[in-house]
Amino acid sequence: MIKRLMALDGVMAVCHFRDDGMLVEGYGMPQQEMLAGLAKFAHDYKRMVQGNADQLAMFTQVNGWTPPGGWVVRGPKTAVCSVGNVVCVIDNNGSSLNEIMQQLTEASRW
Amino acid sequence: MTIINELAGINGVIAAGEYSYRGDRFSYQGQLDEEKARMASIMCRATTMAVHMQTDMMKSLNADCGCAPSRGWVVRGAQFSVCVIANVFCFIDNNATSLNEIIKLMRDKVPNQDAQLV
Amino acid sequence: MADLDSLMKLDGAEAAFKFSPSGELIEHKLADGSSLNESALDLLSHVCVANMSIATMQARGWENMTGMQGFYPIEGFTMVGFDWTAVANGEYGVVIPNDKVDYEKAYAALA
Repeated sequence: MIKRLMALDGVMAVCHFRDDGMLVEGYGMPQQEMLAGLAKFAHDYKRMVQGNADQLAMFTQVNGWTPPGGWVVRGPKTAVCSVGNVVCVIDNNGSSLNEIMQQLTEASRW
Repeated sequence: MTIINELAGINGVIAAGEYSYRGDRFSYQGQLDEEKARMASIMCRATTMAVHMQTDMMKSLNADCGCAPSRGWVVRGAQFSVCVIANVFCFIDNNATSLNEIIKLMRDKVPNQDAQLV
Repeated sequence: MADLDSLMKLDGAEAAFKFSPSGELIEHKLADGSSLNESALDLLSHVCVANMSIATMQARGWENMTGMQGFYPIEGFTMVGFDWTAVANGEYGVVIPNDKVDYEKAYAALA
């Protein structure tokens, strides 16, 4: 199912990971180990963002931070974005982050 | 005597406690009320998760040299410090106790965390 | 004031390093035969800065909510690894094997 995300402009790789960080399926990288590494990174980063969002909610006493919907780490040419248990690597040039985040949100509900 | 009791009995230790990696329970002893101890456990758990990820990542990027798996961390504030080994935390007064003794005791008595942090 | 030479004099020091506020490695020294390298210290610098930043957020939040002062400003972060420990304070850090680390001397040298 997530393979269709590869059709979006600028999407270089995508993978779906389990709650324990194991790769379920992935596309766009030459080796399975690289996809497994992306899955583990996304899983760990998700947990970290959850921890930080929990603390932000606790300290600000403002609702709306938790549970976090997703995250984006943006570099000069490439970005990694994730919603739920789906993550993708994108090329900043020629991709629409809005569209990708929207599609990721839908994919995370499949 | 548990490590929590032992730590809490040391002069200069404000409180010591333990949290589950899943974040669903905590216990503590010392001079914090229940709400502060709950907040402390949330903060310590979040940082432990982050440090664990960071050390694993350093190892996977071939920059390991002995950092992974992480055993714990210390944050040093102006007057107080927070020491964490695995899922045990300890708040100390910098001027009233020895950081070396606290960390040694914790490293000696708190078992290594397992890789899945469960 | 910390400097790399005095940090390398700490018993067991494997490496001493200086980093920018954003975590880039500025300069470093390695002990003879150390298995550490520049790239590892660069990553370690970023880890130290990231955790000091998160700890600052925690200290600010904690002090606002509890009224219990004493954590802010965050002065240092220590990562206890499986074999070695990294102690960082301000913009300097030092790496020492776990069996030789003296946290108090390290923080004093880093002050």
